[in-house]
Amino acid sequence: MVKRLKIKGQMKIQQMAFMLMAITLFFILVGLFALTWRFAGIKESALALEEKNTMLLATKIANSPEFSCGNSFGGSKLNCIDADKAMSLKENINYYIGFWGKNVNNIKIETVFPVEARKDCTLSNYPDCNVIDLFEKGTQGLPYWNFVSICQKSTDEGRLYDKCVLGKVFVYSNDDEEK
Amino acid sequence: MIKSKKGFIQISFPWLFAILVGIAIIFLAIYGVTKLIRTEQTIQDVKTGKELGILLNPLEIGFESAKTTSLTFPVDTRMTNDCNVNGEFGRQLVKISQKSFNQWTDTNLNVGFSNKYFFSKSLLEGKELLVFAKPFNFPFKVTDIIYFTSSNDIYCFVNAPEDIEEELSNLGQENLLFDNCTEIENALQVCFAGGSSCDINVNPNAQSVEKREGKVYYEGDALMYAGIFSDKEVYECQLQRLMKRVSILAELYGDKAELISSINCNTNLEPDLLQLQNMAESLDKSSEIFQLTNLVDDIDRKNKENSICKLW
Repeated sequence: MVKRLKIKGQMKIQQMAFMLMAITLFFILVGLFALTWRFAGIKESALALEEKNTMLLATKIANSPEFSCGNSFGGSKLNCIDADKAMSLKENINYYIGFWGKNVNNIKIETVFPVEARKDCTLSNYPDCNVIDLFEKGTQGLPYWNFVSICQKSTDEGRLYDKCVLGKVFVYSNDDEEK
Repeated sequence: MIKSKKGFIQISFPWLFAILVGIAIIFLAIYGVTKLIRTEQTIQDVKTGKELGILLNPLEIGFESAKTTSLTFPVDTRMTNDCNVNGEFGRQLVKISQKSFNQWTDTNLNVGFSNKYFFSKSLLEGKELLVFAKPFNFPFKVTDIIYFTSSNDIYCFVNAPEDIEEELSNLGQENLLFDNCTEIENALQVCFAGGSSCDINVNPNAQSVEKREGKVYYEGDALMYAGIFSDKEVYECQLQRLMKRVSILAELYGDKAELISSINCNTNLEPDLLQLQNMAESLDKSSEIFQLTNLVDDIDRKNKENSICKLW
């Protein structure tokens, strides 16, 4: 009789232990699921913030001191890129890694009009070129762009003049996969 | 009677086991939830800091330099303004802490920006932060300096020069007062011609701003405001960062001068810009800024005189 009771009691303890373990596991799994869902949200909001930053950067970068025309081309101009200064920046681009944000992959300035065959600018072919690829990373990433004026000092039969054309500035953001 | 007493204190082992494990589960759950809440608060603080930087982008390019922007938070907020001078440009660091259940959230995560310069007290507190910007030229445009004050801090300007009073009044910033404000309790008195109860003394002749924690030196109005609205530590660090940017921009302009000289567009500014590059890079404290004044004025004059080949 005592033995039967003991076995019955042991069974009950075992049942209880299994039940408690199952409950604990259930809560742990629910917690893990909630955490995974929450942290996926954080990554999304971080990406959204970085994208917002890049988008705003594309609209403002032409007016930052590293690119802006200032008064070099007769009076103050908004959304005007000094191509001569941009070429100097290209030569010193190592200073500027991460300066505009960690997600900025590349910045490119391209002439839109007059339409000409694409030619990347280097110190040896400048100013006979129409694309200044600052970080030399091509078109990797998500592009945000803005129309700008691109101005430079030029000569015509020895006479100095300011040459301004219509262009676009592209800011390439690191996309999801690259992160 | 004895039998029932014995039964009263007897708890079977399954019950005891269930109670102990139950307590453990509840404690684990409470611990988990507390940790999760703290993580959430940290995420919120970091997100606010990052958003703050992004929202201030239009100020940085001088689009909205003539007016004050108000940043209102739903709860009491603390902004810690810190900076370091490591790397090519140094870094602007911002830490946001918000009040939750009557306690300040404790986060050790800073949000950093290389291209921003915030001048403020090292710890700002309040539900509303007031922000305005002003371009800093040295001699070329270097950046737009961003000034932060809390709406809780009232600044009373005494005997301010007319142009300063006009500029600050035009901002329409509610915590910057000029007339009959000396009687206001807890207002910080900013004196331009000395006085007995001044918290901040601006000396336009010596180009210095003196506070309890010490004296800083400035060149131009943008840096004078920086001296007024920021702590000495923040000012000295940000000034060093600004000079690092001056140095790199001087190098860019030097290279540009060389580039355009190939088409006979001569500026003759290369040696001066090289000197500025070296001197700005080595500036350690604000009192050394006057060593650059003559050179900066000289470069500015030469650039203005050159009607065809202006560098900026």
